[in-house]
Amino acid sequence: MTFLAAKHIDFGLFSAKWAIGSVALFHTAVASLAIGFAFLVTVLQIVAYRRRQRDYDMMAKRMQLLHVCMYNIGTINAIGLVFLLSGLYPEFWSQLFTNFFWPMIMEEVCFFLLATTLTFHYFFWEHLWGHKKLHIFMGALLTPLFFIQFYLINGMGGFMLTPGFAAGQVSQWSGTAGFTGYDFKMFYNPSFLMLTLHRTAANFAYGAFVAAGLCGIRLMTTKRERMIRYYEDAGRIAFFVAFAALLSLPVIGYFYSFVLKNEAYSAYAALMWGKGDVVAGGIDWWWLKHVIVAGMLGMGMAYLYRSSRARPAEGPPADTSASGASVPLTTLVWAVAIFYIVFYIAMGMVMTWFFFWMMLLVGVVGWMLNGTMLRVCGGSPRAVFLLMGILSFLTVMLGGYVREAARPRFVSQAGVHTGNDLLDRYSHYDDVYVPEERQKAPGEMTMRKDPDWPVPGPRRKPEAFRDLSDPEQVRQLISFQCSSCHTLERVRRYHEAKPTAADWQRTVARMRAYGMRIAEDEAVAIAEMLQQPEWPTTTPPGSVRIK
Amino acid sequence: MNLPVIDTPVFPRWVWIEEIAYSHIFIATIITAFMLLAPVFETIGVWKKDKRYDRLAQALIWFAMILFSPGAALGTGIPVFIIGTYPEFWSRWSNLFFWPLVFQFIFFLLEVGFLFFGYYLIWQRWYTGFKKKLHIAMGFIAAFWGFMVQVVWDSLGSYMLTPGEVALPGVNEPVGWSWAAFANPSFPYLLIHRVIGNFSYTMLLVGGVYALLRLRKKITDEDRLYYAWSSDYCFGLGYAFFFGMPLVGWLYAKLILRESPMAFYAIMGGNNAFHFIVKMALILIFLTLGGLYLAARHKRGRLHVLMSIGVLGLAGIVLAHPPLHWLGDNPVLWRATAIGVLALIVALLWLARRSDPEKRHWRWAMFVAGLAAAFAFAFGGFVRESARQPDTVYGMNVKPEVEPFELGWKALYTGCVGCHAAKPGQDSPLYFDRYAARPDRRSWPDVVQAHRASPDKYARNGLKVDLDDEQARRILDYLQENFK
Repeated sequence: MTFLAAKHIDFGLFSAKWAIGSVALFHTAVASLAIGFAFLVTVLQIVAYRRRQRDYDMMAKRMQLLHVCMYNIGTINAIGLVFLLSGLYPEFWSQLFTNFFWPMIMEEVCFFLLATTLTFHYFFWEHLWGHKKLHIFMGALLTPLFFIQFYLINGMGGFMLTPGFAAGQVSQWSGTAGFTGYDFKMFYNPSFLMLTLHRTAANFAYGAFVAAGLCGIRLMTTKRERMIRYYEDAGRIAFFVAFAALLSLPVIGYFYSFVLKNEAYSAYAALMWGKGDVVAGGIDWWWLKHVIVAGMLGMGMAYLYRSSRARPAEGPPADTSASGASVPLTTLVWAVAIFYIVFYIAMGMVMTWFFFWMMLLVGVVGWMLNGTMLRVCGGSPRAVFLLMGILSFLTVMLGGYVREAARPRFVSQAGVHTGNDLLDRYSHYDDVYVPEERQKAPGEMTMRKDPDWPVPGPRRKPEAFRDLSDPEQVRQLISFQCSSCHTLERVRRYHEAKPTAADWQRTVARMRAYGMRIAEDEAVAIAEMLQQPEWPTTTPPGSVRIK
Repeated sequence: MNLPVIDTPVFPRWVWIEEIAYSHIFIATIITAFMLLAPVFETIGVWKKDKRYDRLAQALIWFAMILFSPGAALGTGIPVFIIGTYPEFWSRWSNLFFWPLVFQFIFFLLEVGFLFFGYYLIWQRWYTGFKKKLHIAMGFIAAFWGFMVQVVWDSLGSYMLTPGEVALPGVNEPVGWSWAAFANPSFPYLLIHRVIGNFSYTMLLVGGVYALLRLRKKITDEDRLYYAWSSDYCFGLGYAFFFGMPLVGWLYAKLILRESPMAFYAIMGGNNAFHFIVKMALILIFLTLGGLYLAARHKRGRLHVLMSIGVLGLAGIVLAHPPLHWLGDNPVLWRATAIGVLALIVALLWLARRSDPEKRHWRWAMFVAGLAAAFAFAFGGFVRESARQPDTVYGMNVKPEVEPFELGWKALYTGCVGCHAAKPGQDSPLYFDRYAARPDRRSWPDVVQAHRASPDKYARNGLKVDLDDEQARRILDYLQENFK
């Protein structure tokens, strides 16, 4: 690549890494919230419609207004991210784009559909009052559209962490079988599924926890009894949706880390044993994220348990003074608690036992903190809602950061460490961290290996085309290479326009840019033959005829 | 630079990029114009204690809000599409303008922040007293950031047509920022031209839409009165704004002739002339329809006299303008036709004075005029962008899919028209058409050969014929193909 040795644009006070990191995290925070909001708005609208309660509809509308604002901020962040990547990492960005162009275009199409649907859904809320089902349907469309969109971006994000067998095998210049702009193997990379599942659940949890947090803020500022009940109800719905999603996250995360162990061992080691950029400023940020999650699990289960002991029909349901218990819900809470203790035991076996005991302790503290906050607030869940919203935001930020930071430091194409974060970078997995804390289990020795089932795409021309001094072989080369993408009739029509030698050279160069794989001497031979006034006629072996 | 170029299905790449870009620009210009005008209207409303202005301002911002998300989504599509389809251009161009692009991103964020949270969402809450003034200030701040976004894009866009002395850097020569590139020769002209143009076409369009809203049956009398006022007000404002355009446009064209002659000749009689003529026809349509409506609406004779003088003033331009090719290059026929059309317009202006402006057909006339103005604006952008083809940046970077005929007209405009322009009647590519029609003409190979053989003999305008073999071949092919 001609600009591998490029100098970089100096970003001044920030390094390029931090500039992109901060904008990307800002975008992720906003975009993830948008997905969660879209889902929650639909839930609230359905609840309002089925119960015939306008309050929920009003809540949904307010949330959608916030969503519109968030959405535009997220969009602008995305533009900023594109500009920053183009200028600061031109090589990385250009190469990545070559293989993910069509997914990105599909993403843009979804983006536009989303923007239009969201706009009409909010700004024509009252106009569509008489067509409520249609209106709810329109809002419900947002969630799948968002999911298609982030499904597409996950292909790119997953590839950056686990290039899988696409690394080193697929040309950086072309996609599958010469189809420029998309590569199946790269898109459906090893961690794509786990990343998608993990982010799906996380987005639901995050959006709904933040919605509950906003209800918590409103509970702190409002005095009217009716509004208090309204925000408590709405906050509770959001909280339950969020907590259900949160419960699935550690399980998905466990399998996600299993994929990393096999496909990106260095990243796995960095996460599990605190290596590389995962530790910054003396803090292991992945650890911190887990501490927060464990606290949220403890706090959430305590709130669920207290709710199960309340009677929804009598007063504020989260009120601790309420009596009576829902047996199935109570059982469920304890079952979940036991499951997560087992989960952390498993994590402790992989990581350290200190991790297990710490998470258990934090979970218990979270449980106790929930009770304290409810007591202090006179039974109102406002503080719990707000704290969970804030913690949820932190976990999303930390999760995004550690995923990106877990990738090993980048090296140049020649495999040399640049020693400069600002330079263009390639990810690599040759330099694997060996954790000192524990002995490697046999399973951890499993390294990434190319599977034997994929059929390799066409790589080179047939060996027959070797003697370029033989006009017949050049003609066959033209026939083989040109007709791989388009008809020879197109070449012949262009030939009839009598282009100059320079035109032919430019055209051949352009076709190489489009993905035609030929050597330099072959390109020269093709251009020389085609610039002849006579159209080359041949009857190659097989079925291809030029004329 | 060996970056791969991604091809597009169904349509060529330039069609895709053009459609995405124009969809975005159309929306973005409406938003920017509305954002700039809304606080002005709101201020007038407070000053005059007339709530109609406030309603108008609020309606403009509401509509801008509706357009904002789709416009922004389309806006993100433009760089994404260019990165894949014109990778070399994008890499080099974004290298040169990295910091303006980053600042544009910051301006955009500020625009959204002030527009959403400081202006739209609190309109009703900050409705009186000091809060109202604060609200107006917020509107102006939001408009300022929106305008700054336009400033950045106009600069970057104008560089593509008139790069001046600043070369497009390679990617391995990180630049990030160049004042000379940012303040390129045509930047101020494009910016002023577009600002006035935005005000003009958006207000004409809004006036036309409000005029149609008046025709709705299920509206209150209050609404009907409001629509009557707002349609007249906006339409008149848009019409008045337009008269700033010709002067700026003329200066802009002069500058393009000096800085990017190939683009100028492409527009003026060259391969791009048709689009320019369509644009002019659209301007004629909305000027005529709008003028007739205003003549019907305002019965004062002084306005009619002024308008008549204005139209007849155009006769001076018509008489100086070379005869249209469509009219057989016949100067007498051209002048007679043009003067006849202008006289007809003057007559219609005076006849319209007797017409009842409340008639239904005037509502439709206003709407058609608004649409024509919007299309004229769109065609203007298209003409500007397509005039520099096959270059992506004038004289610096050629698009990857360049065809021989495009290189042909480029060679002709730069190698031949520049010299011929010194002589009256030969200052446009149409001269070659006229020459081809002459009975005493020589064959094109002879003409090209003669010019190359005796460069001093054909030297004009301080320029000599200086063509290498390839240029001569291209020019000859193009002449033979297009001027038979």
